[in-house]
Amino acid sequence: MKKTSAKVMQTGESVGQLAWKKLRRHRAGSIGMIIVGLLTLIAITADIISPFNPVSQVLEYSLKPAMFRGNALHVKNPSNPELPIVIPIKEFHQQGDSVFYVDFSGRADAQPLIAMHGTSAQEFHSRPLYILGTDAFGRDLLSRVLHGARISLVVGVLSQALALLIGIVLGATAGYFRGKTDGIIMWVCNVVWAFPTILLAILFSIALKTANDAFGFSLDAFWQTFIAIGISSWVDIARVVRGQFFSLREMEYVEATRALGYGATRTIFRHILPNALGPIIVLSTAGIASAVIIEASFSFVGLGIQKPQPSWGILIFDGYGYISNPDNWGLAVFPSIAIALAVYGFNLLGDGLNDAFDPKSLRR
Amino acid sequence: MTFFILRKILYAASVLLGVITTTFVITYVLPGDPARLMLGQRADPESVASLQRQLGLDRPLWEQYGSYIAKLAKGDMGRSFSTNRDVMGSILERFPATALLSLSAMALSTVIGILLGIIAAARPNSWLDTALMSTALLGISLPSFVVGTMFLLLFGVTLRWTPISGYIDTGWNHLLLPMITLALRPLSVIARVTRSSMLEALSQDYIRTARAKGASVPSILLRHALRNALNPVITTISSWLAGLLAGTVFIEYIFNWPGIGMVALDAILKLDYPMIQGTVQFTAIIFVLVNLLVDVTYAFLDPKVKLS
Repeated sequence: MKKTSAKVMQTGESVGQLAWKKLRRHRAGSIGMIIVGLLTLIAITADIISPFNPVSQVLEYSLKPAMFRGNALHVKNPSNPELPIVIPIKEFHQQGDSVFYVDFSGRADAQPLIAMHGTSAQEFHSRPLYILGTDAFGRDLLSRVLHGARISLVVGVLSQALALLIGIVLGATAGYFRGKTDGIIMWVCNVVWAFPTILLAILFSIALKTANDAFGFSLDAFWQTFIAIGISSWVDIARVVRGQFFSLREMEYVEATRALGYGATRTIFRHILPNALGPIIVLSTAGIASAVIIEASFSFVGLGIQKPQPSWGILIFDGYGYISNPDNWGLAVFPSIAIALAVYGFNLLGDGLNDAFDPKSLRR
Repeated sequence: MTFFILRKILYAASVLLGVITTTFVITYVLPGDPARLMLGQRADPESVASLQRQLGLDRPLWEQYGSYIAKLAKGDMGRSFSTNRDVMGSILERFPATALLSLSAMALSTVIGILLGIIAAARPNSWLDTALMSTALLGISLPSFVVGTMFLLLFGVTLRWTPISGYIDTGWNHLLLPMITLALRPLSVIARVTRSSMLEALSQDYIRTARAKGASVPSILLRHALRNALNPVITTISSWLAGLLAGTVFIEYIFNWPGIGMVALDAILKLDYPMIQGTVQFTAIIFVLVNLLVDVTYAFLDPKVKLS
């Protein structure tokens, strides 16, 4: 292993480059990276890869089991040409200018051909496959889970960004100035730390919601949720950053910035912070994971993000009532698996990053 | 020593004051008018005003704050909006259920977590170590409501091994599923901490000496390494112990366990502010007290702590 350090000397790689190299060789970290990468891809392309529109309802197909295959005609929708009306049928045949069919309830009916979405049976008739089944409103669960990735990840990342902002500023200030400033900031940390994070986040969320309703801010549930989670989960970051600053501020290069007459802000953000990034990155991956969990927990108390598309938490909560139903247990289980996989992915990545940034393992 | 303990108690008290003030500010200043919330949106202004007077809401904020603190010192957390019962009484009534659940879960995760950590550390990077540690990471990753749901489905509904909900008054087996669900996360964390701390200890010179002397493997692992590796493990356990009260919220909801978590969720669903405030404050107070107790115990056990 000594070879590596010799090579480092020759090529002069930065800590970041080294960490990246080690992360790629780290098995758990690589798996985590792949999971997180795939989820990000799903979140971005949810509209393209989803087999159905996640909010379009076919009430006849409510609560169908996984791998259910429908049988449907598509009729032009006067209010939205993009989204044809779906008529679930049992059978149909085309005769002249009309399409005759037996609908889901067994009633015979007909539509003129010009009312159909498309001109041939290939276009207006389909046998849609609901891979994970449907929910109570006949919406495709797979499409909803895929779209849920978007909401859950965005909330996770945004709330963590807010937590990082607060945590870094407070932690850096405490660690750099020490003394009384440190004492006050650590006291605030201890106070926030004493609250159970989930309950504090819920409390903030209710407060934001009420403030929103009372003062007419335009903060919808999405903003309320990520702000509430962000301002409740910065304590760990502040503590770690403070610890880093405690040791880093004794380094010679920090003394040099003082000799050069740089201000505190410049020293903190330009010179110390970049050297403290490793542990911060590690913490924030774990932080995203727990933010996803907190967001999901919100839906248990009716605070989750419902519109326009649901988060995973809402999906679990909505599916919860069907858990002992032999056909529909998937409504709660599939989004649960999605959350577990996402959180596992972020934690694996965090583990890999931890080892990659660990100076002890640099030496080995 | 007395001075050390006194300082710790004073600090804990100041943190408690911070906690109380924060909850006061969040629940009283931000979310509108409790009187209107109690009476509903359609109540006439006179009855709202009279209730405001009765609750002291017409007085200036600092006066309200003062009387709030004074009442709290007497253990009075107000009355529930929805049941009109004494908040403190309702919480104390539910406390044993939550304490039983968290303490049993903590005992389970301590024993099994340390055991798994030792097994993993005995052969680092073997398949067993990798399997145990990946499972432990999965245990950390699974949200409690997901695990609870899965356990409920598997053991309660499909296999019918355990009852699906309820309290121990109708049989001790009601404790099983919620306890295991709650234990899973701390168990995983303790296993990981034990493993890394054991590995650190096993790389020390005194272990080499013990090996050279011909000490048996179990004796090296348990008598020489574990004793020196326990410190970070105990820190982890104590911090989980303090926070576990809050961790029971969703598990109590899923398994219909009549503890504080149920009360808290119920209060949140009903926007019952005094009750929300009470449960949040109670969990925070327990957290601070347990931490204080741990700090002081530490100081007795380890003389180095006092000095730092």
